[in-house]
Amino acid sequence: MKKWQQRIGPWLSKYFSLPSDVMMELPRVTMIGQLHVYIENHQGLTVYSDTELKLKSNKGYIQISGSSFVLKMMLPEEILLEGNIEEVKFIPE
Amino acid sequence: MKHIQGSSLTGYVTVFVKGIQPELFFQRCSEQDIIVWNVEKKSENVCSGNVKLQDISRVKHIKRGTDYKLSFKNKRGFPFMMKKFTRKKEILVGLLLSILLIFFLSNIIWEIKITGVPKDIEEKISEQLTQYGVHQGTWSFTLDSPSEIQQNLINDIPELLWVGVQQKGTSFLLEGVEKTIVEEDEVEGPRNLVATKKGVIENMYVSKGLPQVQVNDYVEPGDVLVSGKIQFTNDEQTDDDGEEEDEAYELIAAEGEVIARTWYETEVTVPLKTNYEQLTGDSETKYHLKMLGAEFPVWGFGNPEYKDIHRERHEKDLYFFKWKLPITFMETILSEKTYHEAERSKEEAIDVGIKQAKNELQLRLGPEAEIISENILQETTENGKVKLILYMAVEENIVKYEPIDQGD
Repeated sequence: MKKWQQRIGPWLSKYFSLPSDVMMELPRVTMIGQLHVYIENHQGLTVYSDTELKLKSNKGYIQISGSSFVLKMMLPEEILLEGNIEEVKFIPE
Repeated sequence: MKHIQGSSLTGYVTVFVKGIQPELFFQRCSEQDIIVWNVEKKSENVCSGNVKLQDISRVKHIKRGTDYKLSFKNKRGFPFMMKKFTRKKEILVGLLLSILLIFFLSNIIWEIKITGVPKDIEEKISEQLTQYGVHQGTWSFTLDSPSEIQQNLINDIPELLWVGVQQKGTSFLLEGVEKTIVEEDEVEGPRNLVATKKGVIENMYVSKGLPQVQVNDYVEPGDVLVSGKIQFTNDEQTDDDGEEEDEAYELIAAEGEVIARTWYETEVTVPLKTNYEQLTGDSETKYHLKMLGAEFPVWGFGNPEYKDIHRERHEKDLYFFKWKLPITFMETILSEKTYHEAERSKEEAIDVGIKQAKNELQLRLGPEAEIISENILQETTENGKVKLILYMAVEENIVKYEPIDQGD
């Protein structure tokens, strides 16, 4: 059942142009220059420090590195990060 | 960002978390639907973040059973400000005192302005006002209402025709109109004196003019009493040589007083039984503050043991600056009263009736008229009332001025 859903997800988003973050439960990362990163639909914070933020998503981790990081807001599935962002990296599981 | 809007109003706290991987503590918080913002990693083992005041108990709940150490710093927002403020007793007392002071000053009469009247009457008015207790520096809620003061002033100062009293905040504005004594509207030029009522002439005092009637004559209204047309005798006419016969008279303004006896028939009814209330003189005063329809006693508790009570209520508005407060000051005067029931005999009722009728007539005719005698024409008693028809004889001046039409 789950496999069927996973297979129909990309197909739906491709042919009906439905947003893929909703269809496939992927994280949505919005960036404003180097200043802000807004991550929605993540599954929890694993590492946070001044220079690094690592979030869990459904297919691995998102790692953001940079300097002078401040978490402007933390909501259950959203995080707004402020600072000097240098890198956004997807690490597969 | 709307999630943290208004947090400065409801209050928020900066939480410092100490422990291994302190950021995971905040992760747990956000899993529990607690909003955390401005999370900063201070060092390897310390992390700080802001939490709303209402979430603090839940944060403490999460902390239980973990190795993290929490400390709360930087308490910000309105609730904390209030707390800080109330801790400073001096400021609180000062604020209270200043509000009280403004309240007191707002309810004091500071100025009495009298306009529209000359100096001497102005002085009289202010003297009267002082007698009523209206002067600079009195409490405005101890005073009578402006309309009462207005009435009293008009009664006590005969020179005043009208006075407008207005209370405008802390000042009393009086606008007076002086009575100008208008000369009696006399008919100028030649005139006759004419009777206004029917009557028998008792006395005549004619200073100018030719009397047309005599004492003990009966006159009807409209009869000429004293003529202003003076006929010259033939001897005098011959002195004015060359004058025509048509102008053998002179027109003057007649003047004089004709007192005649007139009659009036009046009807009075006097009840045999009377009820009246009388105050015994014992009274108590109570004060209330009335707020939003509810009354709170300030002074005077309990009810006096009077059998019958006459209540008199006065309501005074209170002010703060120029604004009327929703609180009013109520004064209630409870006076003991007694009911009297009196029964009078027929003779007494007749006496009362005659007196009453005389008073009424005197009022109608003015002070110069004199009631000489009264006779009872008819008396009937029915339904506990005595009905009298009285016949009264009056001596009064019946003169009216009437200009002589010169026919030009």
